[in-house]
Amino acid sequence: MPEVKIIAKNFMDMVASLPAMKLDKLYDNAFICEAILRSLPPLAKKYVLQMLYIDSPITAKSMEVWVLPDGSSKHRVAIDRLIQLRVFSETVDRRKETTYKINPTFQTNLQKLLTHGEVLPREPMPSNITVRLPSVEDLDVYAIGQWECFLLQLISSAQAERPSNISSSMMKVFQRGLLSQRDKEAPRLTESGFQFLLMDTNAQLWYIIREYISNSEERGVDPADLISFLLELSFHVTGEAYNSNTLTEVQRNTIKDLTDLGLVKLQQGRKESWFIPTKLATNLSVSLTDSSSRKQGFVVVETNFRLYAYSTSKLHCEILRLFSRVEYQLPNLIVGAITKESLYNAFENGITADQIISFLQQNAHPRVAERIPTVPENVTDQIRLWESDLNRVEMTPAHYYDEFPSREIFEAACDHAREWNGLLWEDSKRMRLVVKAEIHIHMRDHLRGQKQ
Amino acid sequence: MPSAPTKLYADDVSLLVVLLDTNPFFWSTSSLPFSKFLSHVLSFLNSILLLNQINQIVVIATGCNSCDYIYDSSLSTNPGIENGKLPALCSELLKKLEDFVTRDEQLNKQHSLPPTTTSSSLLSGSLSMALCYIQRVFRSGPLRPHPRILCVQGSSDGPEQYVAIMNSIFSAQRSMVPIDSCYIGSNNSAFLQQASYITGGVYQKPQQLDGLFQYLSTVFATDLHSRAFLQLPKSVGVDFRASCFCHKKTIDMGYICSVCLSIFCKHHKKCSTCGSVFGQAQSDVASASNLKRKTPET
Repeated sequence: MPEVKIIAKNFMDMVASLPAMKLDKLYDNAFICEAILRSLPPLAKKYVLQMLYIDSPITAKSMEVWVLPDGSSKHRVAIDRLIQLRVFSETVDRRKETTYKINPTFQTNLQKLLTHGEVLPREPMPSNITVRLPSVEDLDVYAIGQWECFLLQLISSAQAERPSNISSSMMKVFQRGLLSQRDKEAPRLTESGFQFLLMDTNAQLWYIIREYISNSEERGVDPADLISFLLELSFHVTGEAYNSNTLTEVQRNTIKDLTDLGLVKLQQGRKESWFIPTKLATNLSVSLTDSSSRKQGFVVVETNFRLYAYSTSKLHCEILRLFSRVEYQLPNLIVGAITKESLYNAFENGITADQIISFLQQNAHPRVAERIPTVPENVTDQIRLWESDLNRVEMTPAHYYDEFPSREIFEAACDHAREWNGLLWEDSKRMRLVVKAEIHIHMRDHLRGQKQ
Repeated sequence: MPSAPTKLYADDVSLLVVLLDTNPFFWSTSSLPFSKFLSHVLSFLNSILLLNQINQIVVIATGCNSCDYIYDSSLSTNPGIENGKLPALCSELLKKLEDFVTRDEQLNKQHSLPPTTTSSSLLSGSLSMALCYIQRVFRSGPLRPHPRILCVQGSSDGPEQYVAIMNSIFSAQRSMVPIDSCYIGSNNSAFLQQASYITGGVYQKPQQLDGLFQYLSTVFATDLHSRAFLQLPKSVGVDFRASCFCHKKTIDMGYICSVCLSIFCKHHKKCSTCGSVFGQAQSDVASASNLKRKTPET
């Protein structure tokens, strides 16, 4: 089975990997254009804006004129990204001059957005039909509750308080890569599973959504349609009700699944039913970029390695258990300690020190979040030290050579290995040397040449 | 080690405070009609909001008798719901702007000031309002976008505002807020040149006003993060001339109080700002050496 590697927030890569035809079709939707624009690196955004009203191709040279020497790498990244996403098309003419042109569909859609401002994908329902709309706070609580319930179910199906509508086959898809299932054994979290739990909510959400999208073809849904619907959803206003009648059949099924993830809340009126997007849904297009979510933290770490987590969530407790020893659990507080044993446990499971530290920093309680550093330095240093303790021995595959016929040949071999930057060890007295495994072939060729 | 609060926002999240010149004395003489100007600016504002979901825009109108906030994207109602035709940004902004202009005009009648003094806009007022807003954002919490101010100014400088404007410029410099200026009047504005020069912003005088949007989007839409990598227009020369405190005239040679550095165009017996008593100017030759000359830097 191929290893599912967790790279957070790589949704745009997924969009970029779509076949050209589908990508062009995707750009027919103005919301996608907007989301794509927002996901671009800052410099790329600027280039798009600059080219928006220019119809003729622009030479690469004239664009480079704008860039300071310091920014040339950023410039290249930006241009590569734009070409990868087919926002820019690159042509090289006979005089070897590179020109860029902006994708016309993308261009017209953005032009429309500029002149008309942002438009909503659908009108919210009037408030006289939807009587009891939840408040923003209620909706947030609901969304987080749903999401945590889903996560708990994901990591251990037994612990979930109530079963969700997500079919077990769908759950299996999500669990693929996160859990390792062996026969007659309780499923265990894999290395990437542990890493997944330490990511922030937006990154987790995107991981799940990505799996959901890549699995869509098996369910007979076009991934491009799904992507465009999800992005469109992120442009709805949080807390407003939208009529379910405006959705297509496929979208309605999708909405049901999204309810279980906490992205939307479904409500049934007397005649009509409607869906209310939550913060998680509207954050979808934000999480495309690097900005992290703005949720309130709950962890306080003290210089004595004690950890206080003001949380009632079972999930938080489970996460803290990954790298600390939970000592007691009060109704709203989890007290634990970061110990060498608990950290070794975490490292064995494939969690890195940096992940633990960034988790502690990102989830810092508001009281300590203002302080710099949020996590005491002695704790972060110690966590890193304990990790490096485990990596005291570095393994490098190598080849060992001895019994050189003469000193000249030995010296030449050493020099050759140095040239390839692969000499690991030499003993000139007894004429022995060790080189990296990857340059063995070059060494062999070199030594053969010497013999002749 | 990077601290947590700075990491919470992406690099290019910006808070843009736009100061719009609504001076009727300027717009009646301008080659670019105000309505066209507005449509350029509105598209520009839309494009800023389009670039990032959490970008924030505040628009302050600079009249000739008053200044006021006319749009704040963080307070605006949900887009699109209002009366169908115009998007929320336009309709809200235009309505407030209209109210503002009428109010400003009434103030003008009340004060019945001679028309010569009202030909410049109250740039100092709107600058300080912008800085106040930014200070409030700074104090509201650890999550802060990168703020910058953009002055879209047309009317000429009012030398009587010299002190107030310079003070705003220095406080902007202290709080590291760049002031960009897009000057659409006929001559260069010394105030704005100095403002952008001192705060590290960009001063530009568009050559072709028909393409104002292109100027705005290429130069002034650049977020502070990207400015480190881009070649933006550099000012060729900055007019550093000061205004005297006594008659508010722009002068390039004058007398300076040795205690508080107030500037005067004529010799006075006593400093009007700090009250220090000056000695008698000995002779014309001696007094000429007291005259300080400020030459435009190139």
